[in-house]
Amino acid sequence: MDVDSTLPAVRSGKPAASRRTGPHTENALLGWILVVGLSLLGFVLLSVGSLAAAPAWPRFVFLALGAAGVLAYGVLVFPFFRRLERRLPEGEEQWGRLEEDLIASFNQLGAGDLVRSTAHTRGLPERLAKISEAASEALSQLAQQIQDSSIEVASAADAVNEIASELASGSSEQAASVVEITAAMEELARTASQIAENAGRQAELASRAEASGDAGSAAVFEAVTGVEEVQKRISAIASRADALGTRSKEIYRVLDLITEIAQETHILSLNAAIEAAAAGADGRRFSVVAEEVRHLAQRSQESVESVRNLLDEFSGSIRATIVATEEGSKEASRVLERSRAAAEAIEDLRRASGDTSRVAQQISLATQQQNAASDEVVMTLREVSLVVQRMTGGLKNLSTTADRLNSLGLEIQLLAQSFHLASPRSLKHLVEDWARRVEAAPSQEERAQVLDELVGGAPFVELGYFSRLDGTTPILSFNRDLLNERQRSLANKVHDTDVRTRPWFKAVSRHWRTTLIPPYESMQNSEACFTVCTPVRDGAGKITAVLGIDINVTGWTRI
Amino acid sequence: MPAMPEMSEMSEPGESGKSRREGTHLLVRAGEYACALPLASVRRVVRSLTVHPLPGATAELEGLAEFGGEPLPVLNLGRMVHAPAGPNPAYPVTVVVWVGPAEAREMLGLAADAALEVVHVPPASVVAGDGGFLLGEAPVGGEVVRVLNLEALGRTA
Repeated sequence: MDVDSTLPAVRSGKPAASRRTGPHTENALLGWILVVGLSLLGFVLLSVGSLAAAPAWPRFVFLALGAAGVLAYGVLVFPFFRRLERRLPEGEEQWGRLEEDLIASFNQLGAGDLVRSTAHTRGLPERLAKISEAASEALSQLAQQIQDSSIEVASAADAVNEIASELASGSSEQAASVVEITAAMEELARTASQIAENAGRQAELASRAEASGDAGSAAVFEAVTGVEEVQKRISAIASRADALGTRSKEIYRVLDLITEIAQETHILSLNAAIEAAAAGADGRRFSVVAEEVRHLAQRSQESVESVRNLLDEFSGSIRATIVATEEGSKEASRVLERSRAAAEAIEDLRRASGDTSRVAQQISLATQQQNAASDEVVMTLREVSLVVQRMTGGLKNLSTTADRLNSLGLEIQLLAQSFHLASPRSLKHLVEDWARRVEAAPSQEERAQVLDELVGGAPFVELGYFSRLDGTTPILSFNRDLLNERQRSLANKVHDTDVRTRPWFKAVSRHWRTTLIPPYESMQNSEACFTVCTPVRDGAGKITAVLGIDINVTGWTRI
Repeated sequence: MPAMPEMSEMSEPGESGKSRREGTHLLVRAGEYACALPLASVRRVVRSLTVHPLPGATAELEGLAEFGGEPLPVLNLGRMVHAPAGPNPAYPVTVVVWVGPAEAREMLGLAADAALEVVHVPPASVVAGDGGFLLGEAPVGGEVVRVLNLEALGRTA
């Protein structure tokens, strides 16, 4: 704020003092004329009233009081005003000085220099100086708080922006994940439907298998029964064959007996033949009989042998039959055993088929329920997806808002930095302090060294440059943590530039005050930065150069 | 039992009754051999008698048996004719014969494997043997039989 423009009347100074010199005398004369006039008016009015009936002494008393008043005014009041009028030029001169100090103070205040504004209040009256200093101090504290708060706001907004960006990114990923989960659940639902369908088919097949198992079990049971009957028949055959064997042995015994009888008969016939031979001619016919008996015995023996042979064959057949029946019985037992095992296997298979059918039905039911649950989950996930999408949009808006808040905080910070405060956080104070240190160095090299140290110790300063009024820049310092080799080579081009054409130089040279240039994109690293520059004065107060520093916004907000 | 020719078939025409009676033999089997015993010397054919061995007797003498209440020495016919052992006999027999001269004949048992039949062996068909117990050999029914002389056996005994 320019005080010169807001207080034009105050800036006139002298005319105001001359305008205040005359009224003291004029006031004294007007007071005297007023007292005399009022005395005369009272006398006239009393004189006109006494013409009719009033006595004359009140008129004389009032006249005497008027004369006494005129006399007292001329003796006491008029000399006071005269003395006051003689001292008025000195007071007006003192008032002018106070007015000048006050204007200068307001001008510094209007320029935002809360440090120098208090320097001009030393000539003011003590009370006014205290009030002015208190106002500057309050304003300084307010600006300081605004600076601090704006930095905190910018930092908080940056943090919120970062968190919101992360949350938005996370929400986007979450939304994508929800979409994938939804697709997976839909696929799961379809798979569950297929499983339910397949389980239903399997249950039907298992039911058929169970029915087939029942039929197979019945058939096997019949087969087992048949085999058992066959085994009984075989056992009966074996028993009968055994009985035949026993009978055959009896027949053998009978044959043996017959054979023995035949032998005995044979021997008997031989003895008869012997006796017949001993009888001579008489025994000739007897010998014939004996011979016939021998023949009979021989045929009997031959028949017995034939019967024995037949009986041998018969016995062999019976033995073969017995062996065959035993083998058949054993085979029937094996078949029966296998049939029973097959029956048990079929029964197990039937039970397994029944269990499979029931389990398949349960699976079908469970998968149908799973399908329904999956549909509900899919619907819920779609709602969740919508919520997440809305949340993502909200977070993006929050991020945008936080970004805007960060920008606002930065703008507030820059506005607060337009005040020159006696604080290390005041960039104007900082750059002026640097300017004094650099100027205090005796040589060019030492100035460059001082500036390098200062820039290196301030992590938020990209560049520091010391430019002379002829447009040259003899000293240029880099912050190597912020600028790489290529960026530093770009910055070195300032040596070939007449800085008097640069906006910052023009802004400083306009009023030769410390100036803050609004943010712009850095030529070196394309990041946001702003410039603070100040005139450099020598010991005599003469401006000899301009010191500028480029502040990296990100680094500054981190500080 | 091999088929043997019947006694009537073996009789030759013109042969007298005495000579025929002398040519009649009882055919028995002893081991692998068939032996013909003169029927006139045969007393009886019985089933194999129970023999009680005699200590210190020769190999041919099986022992003593009881026949008709009298002790009867029993000889092994197969060993006497040195016949190879044949199959186990189904119905072994003991042939009770008269040995020795007519005036001092004695009964003796001959253990044979079987008594076959009564055959007629013409004396002319007998090929002379050792002149002792083995009178000779003669073909009977397609088989060579050993014709034994029981009288010689009586002399030997």
